[in-house]
Amino acid sequence: MTSYVIALILGIGFGFSLNKAGLTKYRNIANQFRFTDMTILKFMMTAIAVAMIGIYVFRGLGWITFPTVPATYVAGNLIGGLVFGVGMALAGY
Amino acid sequence: MKRIKAFISQEAWSPYVAGILLGIVGLLTVLLANALLGASGAFESLAGLIGKKLSPSLFSNLYWGVEGGRAMPIMRPEITWSVILLVGTILGGTLGALTSKTFKFRDNDDPQWKKIFGPQPWKRWLLGFIGAIILEYGAGIAGGCTSGLAISGGMTLAPAAFIFIAGFMISGIITIKLIYGRRF
Repeated sequence: MTSYVIALILGIGFGFSLNKAGLTKYRNIANQFRFTDMTILKFMMTAIAVAMIGIYVFRGLGWITFPTVPATYVAGNLIGGLVFGVGMALAGY
Repeated sequence: MKRIKAFISQEAWSPYVAGILLGIVGLLTVLLANALLGASGAFESLAGLIGKKLSPSLFSNLYWGVEGGRAMPIMRPEITWSVILLVGTILGGTLGALTSKTFKFRDNDDPQWKKIFGPQPWKRWLLGFIGAIILEYGAGIAGGCTSGLAISGGMTLAPAAFIFIAGFMISGIITIKLIYGRRF
C-alpha cells in the first residue's frame, strides 16, 4: 500500500514537471524537430544530467542498488526509436 | 512566500528548472521505490488487462503471459506500480495546469497546428489517435518511451537510451519535414 502512495506522489511530481516544461503543447514537440525551439532537449538532458549525478553518487554511498536498467538490444532500440519518432511527430504529444 | 507563489503559478518554467525537478523526481523514484519512472509500460499493462478480459485467447501470448505458462510475461497485465504512477502523472499534470490557471478542456487550440492542418478538431483527434498507436508500438519494440527509456535509461547511462533518442530524433525530423514541406 505504501508503495502505491509513493507511486502516486512521484507521479504527481513527474506530471507537474512535464506540464511546467510545456511538454503538453503541440508546438513545443513539433518545433523541437524543426530545431526552432529546443525546450524538449533542454528539459530532457537537464533531467538526465541531474539524475545521473545523483544516482551514481547515491550508489557510491551505498544508499541504493541499481534497479533493472533498460536492456540494450541495438536493432530493437533503434527501430523502436524510429517508429516512436513518427508517432511523436504525428500526435505531437 | 509571495515569490514562490508567483513562481509556481507561471504557465511555463525554464526547461532547465523543470528538468532539475524531473531529475530529482527520477532520483527519488530510485531511492524510495527502487524503480524507474516510465509511462508507456502502464498503458501496455492496462491494454493487456482489458484484452485478457475481452479475448483471453488472443491476448494469451509471450508479451502478456500465458495462463499457467512458466515464462514470465514481458508486461504483467494487472494494476502494476507503473499504472499508479501514471494516475499520479495525470493528477500532476492537472495540478500544474490548475496552478497556472490554464486548466480547460481543449479540442484543438494550438495556433501552429491549425495553420498546418486546419481548424477542425476531428483531425486533431484522429491524428493524435493514429500517432499515439504508432508511438506506443515503437515504445513497445524499444522497451520504453521518452520517460521510461530515454530519461530513466539515460540517467543509468544505459546505451539503449541514447540509441533510442537518436532514433526518434531522426524519424521525427523526417516526419515533420514531410508534413511541413516548404514551411519547415
